[in-house]
Amino acid sequence: MTFPYKGYAGYYAEVDLTKGKIHKREMEKEWARLYLGGTGVAAKILWEETGPETDPLSPDNVLVVGTGPLTGVMFSPSGRMMFAAKGPLTGVWAESHVGGFFGPEVKYAGFDFVIFKGRSPKPVYLFLRDGTAELIDASHLWGRETDVTTDMIREEHKDPEIKTGIVGPAAENGVLYSSIIVDRYRAAGRAGLGTVLGSKNVKGIAASGSLGLEAYDMEKYLEANEIEMQRVCDPIWTESLTSLRKYGTTDLVAIINEIGRLPTKNHWTGFYEDADDIGPEIIAEKYRIAQEACHGCEVGCKYIYRVKDGRFAYGPAGGPEYETIMSFGSNCLNNDIESIFHLGTRCDLLGMDTISCGKSIGFAMELWEKGIIDKNDTDGLDLSWGNVDSMVELVEKIAKREGFGDILSKGVRKAAEIIGGDAWMYAVHVKGLEASGQDPRAHQSIGLTYATNVRGADHLRSLSSLEELGYPDIVKARFDDDKTEAILDIMSPKHKGEVVWDIEDLYALVDSAVICKYGTMWPPIYYFDTFSNVIAPLTGMDDWSNPKFVKQSAERINHLRRAYNHRLGITRKDENLPKRLLKEPMPTGPSKGGLPDLDEMLDEYYDYRGCDKETGYPKKEKLEELGLDYVVKDLGKRKMLAK
Amino acid sequence: MNNLLAIDVRKCTGCRNCELGCSTAKTKTFNPARSRIKILKNEQESTIVPMVCLQCEVALCVDACPTGAIVRNEHGTLYVYSDDCIGCGNCVTACIYGGIEIDPMTRKAIKCDLCSGDPACVKACDYKAIELVGSKADDFTRRAEGISRLSPVYIYEEKEAEH
Repeated sequence: MTFPYKGYAGYYAEVDLTKGKIHKREMEKEWARLYLGGTGVAAKILWEETGPETDPLSPDNVLVVGTGPLTGVMFSPSGRMMFAAKGPLTGVWAESHVGGFFGPEVKYAGFDFVIFKGRSPKPVYLFLRDGTAELIDASHLWGRETDVTTDMIREEHKDPEIKTGIVGPAAENGVLYSSIIVDRYRAAGRAGLGTVLGSKNVKGIAASGSLGLEAYDMEKYLEANEIEMQRVCDPIWTESLTSLRKYGTTDLVAIINEIGRLPTKNHWTGFYEDADDIGPEIIAEKYRIAQEACHGCEVGCKYIYRVKDGRFAYGPAGGPEYETIMSFGSNCLNNDIESIFHLGTRCDLLGMDTISCGKSIGFAMELWEKGIIDKNDTDGLDLSWGNVDSMVELVEKIAKREGFGDILSKGVRKAAEIIGGDAWMYAVHVKGLEASGQDPRAHQSIGLTYATNVRGADHLRSLSSLEELGYPDIVKARFDDDKTEAILDIMSPKHKGEVVWDIEDLYALVDSAVICKYGTMWPPIYYFDTFSNVIAPLTGMDDWSNPKFVKQSAERINHLRRAYNHRLGITRKDENLPKRLLKEPMPTGPSKGGLPDLDEMLDEYYDYRGCDKETGYPKKEKLEELGLDYVVKDLGKRKMLAK
Repeated sequence: MNNLLAIDVRKCTGCRNCELGCSTAKTKTFNPARSRIKILKNEQESTIVPMVCLQCEVALCVDACPTGAIVRNEHGTLYVYSDDCIGCGNCVTACIYGGIEIDPMTRKAIKCDLCSGDPACVKACDYKAIELVGSKADDFTRRAEGISRLSPVYIYEEKEAEH
C-alpha cells in the first residue's frame, strides 16, 4: 500500500451499480491531507462527479458514504459517519451525519469511503467484510422496514455483529426526504440521502470487520487524546453534560421553550404552552428505560424508551430526539407524547426524516386552518392542529406517496408550488429544506446559520451555542475582548457574522474528522486546537500540527461546498430566510417582538468568508490562497467569482 | 491482591470504549474484534451484555485445552501461552461465559489477563462500569451479581424497575 497515512483504513470502494462492478482503490493521499475525510473529501468527489446537469434521482448522481480519520479510533465521540450527494429535496449540496456503530465498522471492514455511481438493474445491498466488498441481491428485502431488513441481513450472514445503514419503503417509493437508518434507530435523516440510495436500487450497506486501525505514533496520539478527554472533565461543562446524560436531547424542549425559540404551530411562534407535556421530565419519569452511547462516546446522550400499554404501546426502541419531539409535537400543537414516540419510530422504520415529515404535516395543518385546503384535498382527513389520528394516518400515506401524502412527500417548497395561491407563505424552508427546531427571531445568529448553511435551513453547519449557554471565558478566548458583550447578547446581530464564520469553519473539521456536535457545539468544548493536537500523531500528516494549516483546511472545505452550490445557481438571494422568520415579529412568548437583522449579519459574514457582498461569490484571491485553483478556473468560466 | 473484573451492567451504555482500550493495549491497533472484552448488543431487546473472562476457580477452558496452553499464573490469573496454543477453539466451546476467543489475526486463543494488574478496559470505561477487585468473599459476590444480571430479561426488568 502506498497511501502513507494512518488512522485511515486506507481504501475506498467505487461501486458501479449499473454494471454491478466494484473497484477497490487506495485512498488518495491529497484527499486526506487537504480535505481530511467526511464532508471535505465528499465535497471534492461531488465537485468532480456532479454538477448543474446532474438530476439528483438519475443514475448520474453520486452518493458518498464517508468516514473520517477520527472515526473508530477511541477519540470521544468517534462513532460518527456521513453521507453526501446532490440533494433530491433541495437540488443543492446535501449531506447528513449519523452516530452509532456503523461508521467505525465500515473502517474495520477495510474502507474509509464508498462511492455509489449509476443505478443497479435490481435491488442490491453492499456488504463489506475485511477488505472485500460485494453486491448482494436484495429483492427479498425490498419493501421491508428498516429494523426487519437489518435482522434479515444479520441472519443471512449468521453474524449478529453486522452493522447496517438501511433505507426503508419511503426511499423506495421516492419520498424526497427519506433517511438512511443506522443500527435500527439512528438516522442520517436530513436532505433525502436515503431517496438517492433508493433511486439507485440500493437497499443499504452492511459491514462487519476485524481489520485494525493503526496510529502513526500511538503513544503520542493516546497522550493527545487523553488531554482532549480531560477538557471534557472541566467542571464548567458538568451541567450541560449531566443533562445530556440524564435526559439526552429531550432536555432541549424545556431549555429552548424557556427562551421562546421552540418552533410551535408551524413556526408561527417560539413558545409552546404545553411544552411540559412533551418535555424531559415526563419522558425520564414514564418512558425512558436505559441510557445508551455511540461508539467510544463518553457523553452517552441516546436513550431507549418503552410505551407499556395503550394504543401506542411499543418498545424498547431508540427514543425520539429533541428535533422529532419539536417537529411532531409543538410544531403541530400536539401534546400527546406517546403519539410522538409512535410517529418518530414509524419514521425510523419507514425511513423518513422526522423534521421534514413533521414540518410538512405542520405546514398542511396551517393551510387547513387558513382554509387554503379542505377535506376534498386531504382525502377526507381532518387536519386541525394536534389531530393525532390524522397525523398517524398521514405519516403512512406520505411514506406510500398515496393521495395527499404524495404532495407532502415532496417537502413544503414543492407542496406549496403544487397547492398554489398563498400556500408559499406558510412553507418554512431555506433552499427547499424544512427549517429545523430553531427560530432566528429568538436567537439572531441562527438566522445567519439557516441562510448560509449549504444544505438549507438547518442548524448543524454553524449553530453557535455561545450566546445561548453563555460561556464568557470561551467567548473571550475565541474572539476579541471588546466583542464579548455583544456576542453574548443573543438578540444582538453584532459580530455574529464573525461568530458564524468561525463556527462554520470549526464544524467543517468536525464533519470531516468525523466527530459529533456534542462536545463541539453543545457544550463548546473542542476547538481548532483539538484537531492540531490529535490529527498529526494519529495520521502522520505533519501539516495538521500547524494551526494555520488546520484553519485553512476548514476554509478550503467550506469554500468548496459553497462553490458547489454557486455552480448550481445559488447566490446571496438564496441565502435568505422564509418570510415568516424574517418579517413576522415573534407574536408570543419570552422572545416576543424579535426579528433577525439578516442583512447586517450576512454582510459581515461575507467579509470574513472572503466573498462578494452582492452575490455571495468567492474572491479569486481567497480561493487561490486555499489552493482551490481548479475552483477558480471553473467558476471563472461561469462568471461566478467576486467582481 | 486484585484479580477479578466486576462489571456493573446497569452502568454500561454499550459504547464499547473498553474494547478499544483493550485492543490498543494488546495489539497496538484500534480493533474491537481483537479485544479480550466484548460487548454484545441486541437493539431489539435493548440488552447490552459485557463479556470478559471471570478467572473461574474451576476453569472449563483449562480442562478443555489439549496442549495445556492455559495456565494459572502466580497471581491467580488464567493466562494463555500463545506458543503452546494450536488454535483448536476447544476452550471457546467450553467456556460458558464467552470469556475466551480466537484472535481473527493470529488464530490463537486470547483472553483477559488483567493487563498485569492495571486493566486498560477499566481506564477506558467512562461510565465506571468495570472495576478491578480482589479475591475476598465480598468480591466474589460482586462478580456473581454481575453474572446473574447478564440474563437479558433480568437486565431489562431491572433497568425498568429503577424508574
